[in-house]
Amino acid sequence: MENIGGVALPQGQQPPPAPEGVAPPKVERLNPVVQQQLNLESVKTRALGLYKAISRILEEFDAFARTSSTPKWQDALGQFSMVSMELFNIVEDIKNVSKAFVVHPRNVNAENATILPVMLSSKLLPEMEAEDNTKREQLLYGISGLPVHMQIEKLKARIDMIGAACEAAEKVISDCRKAYGLGSRQGPTLVPTLDKVQAAKIQEQENLLRAAVNYGEGLRIPADQRQLPTSLPSHLVDVLPFGDGAQNLGDNSGTYVKNNPPFSSNSVNTQGVLQTPGGQLIGRSVPSPSNSAFDNASTPPMAYANSPRSSTNIANTPSPQQQVQQQQQQRQKIMQLPQHQQSLLVQQQLRQSSNAGVLGQGSISQLHDITGQTQQKFQQEHLINIIGLRINIYTSIAK
Amino acid sequence: MECVVQGIIETQHVEALQILLQGLCGAPKERIRVHELCLKSGPNLGVVPSEVRLLCDLAQPTPSWTVRHVGGSMRGAGAEQISVLVRTVVESKVGNNALRFFYALGYKLDHELLKIGFAFRFQKGAPITITVTSANKMPRLHATDEAVPVTPGIQLVEITAPAAADNYNDVASAVSSFCEYLAPLLHLSKPGVSTGIVPTAAAAAASLLSNSGGKTI
Repeated sequence: MENIGGVALPQGQQPPPAPEGVAPPKVERLNPVVQQQLNLESVKTRALGLYKAISRILEEFDAFARTSSTPKWQDALGQFSMVSMELFNIVEDIKNVSKAFVVHPRNVNAENATILPVMLSSKLLPEMEAEDNTKREQLLYGISGLPVHMQIEKLKARIDMIGAACEAAEKVISDCRKAYGLGSRQGPTLVPTLDKVQAAKIQEQENLLRAAVNYGEGLRIPADQRQLPTSLPSHLVDVLPFGDGAQNLGDNSGTYVKNNPPFSSNSVNTQGVLQTPGGQLIGRSVPSPSNSAFDNASTPPMAYANSPRSSTNIANTPSPQQQVQQQQQQRQKIMQLPQHQQSLLVQQQLRQSSNAGVLGQGSISQLHDITGQTQQKFQQEHLINIIGLRINIYTSIAK
Repeated sequence: MECVVQGIIETQHVEALQILLQGLCGAPKERIRVHELCLKSGPNLGVVPSEVRLLCDLAQPTPSWTVRHVGGSMRGAGAEQISVLVRTVVESKVGNNALRFFYALGYKLDHELLKIGFAFRFQKGAPITITVTSANKMPRLHATDEAVPVTPGIQLVEITAPAAADNYNDVASAVSSFCEYLAPLLHLSKPGVSTGIVPTAAAAAASLLSNSGGKTI
């Protein structure tokens, strides 16, 4: 059997005998089953492959040595492990079958009588024996004079020290792995756990945040603090009606938004008939006793209520005759409708108003009251005026 | 309809999350600065109050308004199996007189919120939007310049994707698989379900932020 790159066979035993050994007179054939099991061809192929791999590694290391560059240890170690695994597999496979072989030569006869004792002896080869002796001397240096049990103890102590050193080294390696963020190749990774107190704090914060974003908890300003600031951010300046005391928030207050930008002045343009919460009908445009700013009204004076059921047909709009007739027809229809639907219609009309502008908060609820009571004509273009007047009336009533 | 999940992340790790999202999505981030006004309807509009949100996008030079109504979420055994929340949503761009209009209808301001952060868009199976924002409250009404964070140390991460009734399963799975990319940094869950922070977040953030880039050998 060829020499496989210096492979050391176990304990210097005789090499596994091949059928071709020491020139037997007759070539014996192995049992075909055994032959198949041994599968010499594959062993040969594998051995050759292994030989090539090892020689390749040696060449690579030669190259490293020549260029004096550091090898990539990861790769090198990988290759070594591959090679050693392959060798191990080959030896294992052969071991399985080697029971079928008896030591060759089988019989003692004149030819091998002299050489057989040498072959059978378990004595080490001379160089191996010398090596063994030197190693033993190194090991027992200093303690060879002591009695045996003390030698044993000392050796045990040495083994323990070596074991401790190995453990410390392992620990250092794993710490370095963690510090440099390398994953450990084997063994479970330690997951850092949170301190309980910290976790509880974070849980609390999380609940606050989720509640705030999803449900608005903790964001509601109490009603008494809800006053529009004097200086609004730029995106709200045109959007919100400006003016003091004008808010549309929270409580069902009676204050109304005063005016809207389309009107030049910051005052109320109020013409028309309004109804108080009490349901009384107010006649023609009543100048409010409070901030009287009706004079600079840009729209022609109109008088009407914001209810569809208006009896006084005050129509000053430049609407065609047809429109008026239609409105009258509508009113008649509305009268016949139940109250609820009437209010809905009113709301619809409100929405249809092109000049919707600013409506007071309670205007719709007011309309609920109104529709049930009187019939008054509802002119859409001047809603704002109506509301404005109502504001003033309410403020005046409130006083 | 939309599929939505939410999660939290500590403010110190937001930069790392940004790097991760930049790597995943490719496109640069979009800044978010949204003033959200939540309006609730008054009693005149029905027994059950409805809620409408007006969002004003302040990141652009010209503020633009959006109205958004969030409906009920899907319920039932099937909904519990899905890891994302599927809910109806109606959203539309509106003019800046929307606020006045809603006030006129009878809606009242319930609360307002200022969200500041960034967003990324990702297309994989569905157009997914990831927003990372800090929620800020205003001490006085509409005082957006004086907003302070509700929780300074924690920011909200929200992942949404539009869905339809016939494809919400696919969209939900697309969102879930995207969430797995973010697993080292944060856990995401349905809104209302708290997750806590992830213990590996610090290590993950450190590795994302490091220049040498921890390459596995």
